Amino acid sequence: MTEFLNLFQQISIFLIIAYLFSKSPVFRALAGEVLIIKQQFLLYLIFSGFAILGIYIGLPTYDAIVDSSPIGIVLAGLVGGPLLGLGVGITTGCYTLLLGGLNYLSGIAFTSAMFQGILGGLVNHYYRQRNKSDQLYNPLVAVTVTLVGVALHLVLILLMARKDIAAIIIPAQLILPTLLTNSLGAGLFMLMMRDQKMMTDRVGALFSARALKIAERSLGIFGRGFNAETARELAEIIYEETGVGAVGISDGKKILAFIGIGDDHHLANLDIASPQTKQAIRENRVIYADGVREKFQCALSDNCPLGSALIVPLRVDNEVVGTIKLYEPKDRLFMNLNRTLGEGIAQLLSEQLLRYRYENQKNLLVKSELKLIQAQVNPHFLFNALNTIIAVVRKDPSQARSLLLHLSNYFRKNLKRSSDLATLEEELDHVNSYLVIQRARFGDKLEVIQEIEPELLTARLPTFTLQPIVENAVKHGISNMIGVGTIKILAYREDNRMYVSVEDDAGAYCEKLSSDGLGMNIVDKRIKSYFGRQYGTEIECIPDQLTRVKLSFPQEQEAS
Amino acid sequence: MIRTLIIDDEQHAREELAALLMELGGIEIIGSCANAMEAVKAIHHDKPELIFLDIKMPAIDGFDLLSMIDEEIMPYVVFVTAFDEYALKAFDEKTLDYLLKPVDPKRLGQTMRKVHWALDNNEKPDLELSQINRIPCVSANHIKLINPRDVDYVHSDISGVHVFTAEGNYYSELTLKVLEARAGLLRCHKQYLINPANVDEIIPLENGVAEIKTVNGAILPVSRRCLQQVKTAFGLK
Repeated sequence: MTEFLNLFQQISIFLIIAYLFSKSPVFRALAGEVLIIKQQFLLYLIFSGFAILGIYIGLPTYDAIVDSSPIGIVLAGLVGGPLLGLGVGITTGCYTLLLGGLNYLSGIAFTSAMFQGILGGLVNHYYRQRNKSDQLYNPLVAVTVTLVGVALHLVLILLMARKDIAAIIIPAQLILPTLLTNSLGAGLFMLMMRDQKMMTDRVGALFSARALKIAERSLGIFGRGFNAETARELAEIIYEETGVGAVGISDGKKILAFIGIGDDHHLANLDIASPQTKQAIRENRVIYADGVREKFQCALSDNCPLGSALIVPLRVDNEVVGTIKLYEPKDRLFMNLNRTLGEGIAQLLSEQLLRYRYENQKNLLVKSELKLIQAQVNPHFLFNALNTIIAVVRKDPSQARSLLLHLSNYFRKNLKRSSDLATLEEELDHVNSYLVIQRARFGDKLEVIQEIEPELLTARLPTFTLQPIVENAVKHGISNMIGVGTIKILAYREDNRMYVSVEDDAGAYCEKLSSDGLGMNIVDKRIKSYFGRQYGTEIECIPDQLTRVKLSFPQEQEAS
Repeated sequence: MIRTLIIDDEQHAREELAALLMELGGIEIIGSCANAMEAVKAIHHDKPELIFLDIKMPAIDGFDLLSMIDEEIMPYVVFVTAFDEYALKAFDEKTLDYLLKPVDPKRLGQTMRKVHWALDNNEKPDLELSQINRIPCVSANHIKLINPRDVDYVHSDISGVHVFTAEGNYYSELTLKVLEARAGLLRCHKQYLINPANVDEIIPLENGVAEIKTVNGAILPVSRRCLQQVKTAFGLK
């Protein structure tokens, strides 16, 4: 009975050390699924330490036949795999040799230490192969494997003892305590490690879930711009998800939104007053006033209940465009978790702002390009049209009147157009006004053929996509022909797509088309941005024979 | 009465300008042309004193057209354009004028006073004419524009001027004189121009004449008067 007590005492010391280990940062190395070499080495040192410790707290009353080193060796194999197990086994074995000198017992101890390490490693390998690595942290598995490992040691001693008369016979009453304490110790040690690991995992999962939730909820809010309205929405989300005392968002000069404790005096639209926030903006860095070493000082009110704050600058292209602030009241501690989360959120929002700015610029660019094209076409056409109408007035005032109506229709549509969608019918109406005037100018020289499937007239396309293409065909195509030129405008369906093609038989501007001085690019860009990358313009040009610009659109929309 | 030709590819524009000119009086409109080819022919044939010239025309624009006209018969030129994108003010306003479409009758009146003055004072148009980079030719009812580099030689006879290339020969309205002056071709005979780049062999004959063989195998005469000039062009004595 004393043996049991002795052993339990020793195991207790061992477990206290193990417990401390499981709480230390070193243990984090085990949190991941795959261990990198550095971590492997660290674990090797730790488990070797445990195993050697086990030798010392073995059985001091008798000659150290079997000690507590198997716990460290087996667990090393279980946790780190065959290689780590073998390494720890050999190291411990060597240590035994060093202590006991070269004799049978030490030899047996060395051999069994190696075996115990390999055994643990093989079990590790077995479970990993079957994708059950969570079983490795099962205390029962540790108990069983250690039991087998220690038994192996004892069997080896018995075998050797039979052959060698000089061998020491193990007292029978020692066998059971040795087996029990070792396996129990291993089981308890594993239990501690498992609990610690589960806790780390759970906290990590909680953190990730929260971060993901904030990311998901805040997605696209800044896509609508960075202003008081969107800032308020975001502040609400962060406030709800993090549970901090208060959340504030500023644009670098003014408070855009503030929610939570202290919102009676932290009001939106107030200028930034706190020196810490100003510092964060000026120095472009995160400022953390933990409330203990550094206190958050509210500049607005002396009675402000807020005591700690995290101030993270929002950056676009490394330029501070605003801040996000998380606060806790004086009677609450600022959680480290929220600090990390706060910095992560700021990073995420900075990305969103960058994206918003980029999109915004892109849109502006497309719009200004569009305006440019609309402006480009006008003067030459306008003066020639007026010249023609003036001539027509002499001969045929009613035709002149009709031409003037077409001209005004043309310009009205040209000027009114924004970047929205129009029906094919509206687009054709615009084109027709243009063509009627051009036909009056060029007379018989310009022939126009239109073949439009009537069902497609209600189909929608970006405004001002057809017009520039028809104008190009006249301006750069037909008007350069000495003889008669023909423009064909077709709209048809094919392979589940709608096609609108504009074709002239001049083939006069192939080069200009390929260098894109004609604004074809913007037509293509706009179609793609409305309908997707698979649609757009297709250009075919045979010099002196033909130019064909084909626009493709999705077809399903014509049903509406 | 000033003999006037109107050149514009738009019928309405021609008619309107003609109508405005008739209202002003003092003008005889001898014709109107819808493209540069017709215009070159008409100018060389009818020798107008004044032309109204649209700048933007198919294939050959107003500036190109001027470089195709024999300087000796160069009429007084008034450009007409819808939109001032050609920096016309850079031209010498003494010998040239320009009108914007639609044409303002008052402005046209000013122009005509200027024209009258210039013609009365025998002010010769002093135009800086550019090189011809495309020679307009007629072949089987369509217009072909030949790069002077592709020309083998040019021959004129009673029927007109013929431009020979490796691909065939084409009829042109341009005179040998214009082509010699502005298309980089070399006179080797009263009726022949050669492209120096396409000369294969110069074969001296008796009596101070010679023959030129082109890379395409054509044999052309070199007149006594032109021989020295040909030799000099090739750096021979």
